[in-house]
Amino acid sequence: MAGRPQALIVGAAEAPYARHPDAEVTTESLLADAFVRVLVTAGVQRDAVDGLGVASFTLAPDRAIDLARKLGVRPRWLMDDGNGGASGIQLLQHAVRAVEAGDATTVVLLAGDRFDRESFRRLVDTYNRATQHYLAPLPLGGPNALFALLTRRQMDEHGLEREDYGRLVVAQRTRAALNPGAVYRAPLTLADYLAAPVVAEPLHRYDCVPVVSGADALVVQPGRDGVAVRAFGALHNHDGQEGDGLRTGLAEVAGALWRDAGFGPEDADIVSVYDDYPALVLAQLGDLGYAPDGDLRALARRVGEGRLALNTSGGQLSAGQAGAAGGLHGLVEAVTQLLGRAGDRQAEGARRAVVTGYGMVLYRYGACANAVALERA
Amino acid sequence: MSISIPVCTTCGCAVFPPVLLCPRCGGSGWSPEPVQAGLLEGRTERDGTAIGAVRTSLGPVVVVRIEDGAAAGATVALDDGDGMPVARSVAR
Repeated sequence: MAGRPQALIVGAAEAPYARHPDAEVTTESLLADAFVRVLVTAGVQRDAVDGLGVASFTLAPDRAIDLARKLGVRPRWLMDDGNGGASGIQLLQHAVRAVEAGDATTVVLLAGDRFDRESFRRLVDTYNRATQHYLAPLPLGGPNALFALLTRRQMDEHGLEREDYGRLVVAQRTRAALNPGAVYRAPLTLADYLAAPVVAEPLHRYDCVPVVSGADALVVQPGRDGVAVRAFGALHNHDGQEGDGLRTGLAEVAGALWRDAGFGPEDADIVSVYDDYPALVLAQLGDLGYAPDGDLRALARRVGEGRLALNTSGGQLSAGQAGAAGGLHGLVEAVTQLLGRAGDRQAEGARRAVVTGYGMVLYRYGACANAVALERA
Repeated sequence: MSISIPVCTTCGCAVFPPVLLCPRCGGSGWSPEPVQAGLLEGRTERDGTAIGAVRTSLGPVVVVRIEDGAAAGATVALDDGDGMPVARSVAR
């Protein structure tokens, strides 16, 4: 049988995140910055790029094709993905299939956004029709209140207290201190966490992902040296928004994901879980099988004690959430770790990783859920 | 004094926010059903606005603005406030 090429992730890069970007910085300039950086780190020439995938909330009215021209790329494979926190894994899934089918040989995936106060307000008020019609006029002012309600449900169901979320947040901040790219690196104590100003009870400042501007990028090519995707798993709109939001679609696909991956939760050296709010981190970890007895309190304690290599960049909660870049951020960190290029925060001997995507709040909570299992090839 | 929730004309399934095809039976016909009350399952406050989740008597959970001190666990009356679902304590 003629050997089908194996697609590998051969490069990962991030255009620096910033809380308050300079006036001349635009969404497309951030995406271009990530594009150039990822080509350099992967040792790939621009002329070799024949596939381009893009995720962004603020690139409109431009699309992937506009970006192709502005970056000087002539793609045979081209794709936009508008599914926010799930877009990174979605793009990767399509890119891997495209490379293995021979539709493209060098795919660059980009995700990023530039926000100021006004563009972020516009995004959250016009996120979808349901938000526009039924939530924005309340006024809701973004998803914090929805996740406050969800977090309270999780606290009630699992007997969690603010301290449990606080341990997770503090643990991620401790990791962020070792990541020069994280926007928030100053040490945070549990006392700081508990004393932070309230946003929407029970959520306080450090429970809410900080909005930043930035971009992330990956390169996918056929080859032998890089990071292989061992398994994909996804289930979107798993409950039609008729549940309580405490379980994601991952709960239904995690078994197949680990089976296809050929390794299990405890074999993953790096765990990147989409972290817009700590409650969702615990929910996804539970869905992935990290709390086999359903004890999310014990899981939070394990994370707090650093006994799980969770969100080693500091995660979005400390590195920042650059819009759609959040969907690639965890992948970029996991790939950087598996390639052994994570500098001061390098996890020694890291070979395997699991990465999740979550998002698209259709009304009460996120509807998208996906995950990949990665292994150093 | 009510809000309106679409109910599938084929199988009677209530869904909010509105959808195109019924998640149960696939039907595409909907008729608005008035709902007067529900159970306030959760409450939070953001920038001075009280937001809650109300389990309506028809089933779907609606995100509302709470107009008074109604606490989680209370039965609340639902009303349409300029197209927005608002909730207040049921007078005793």
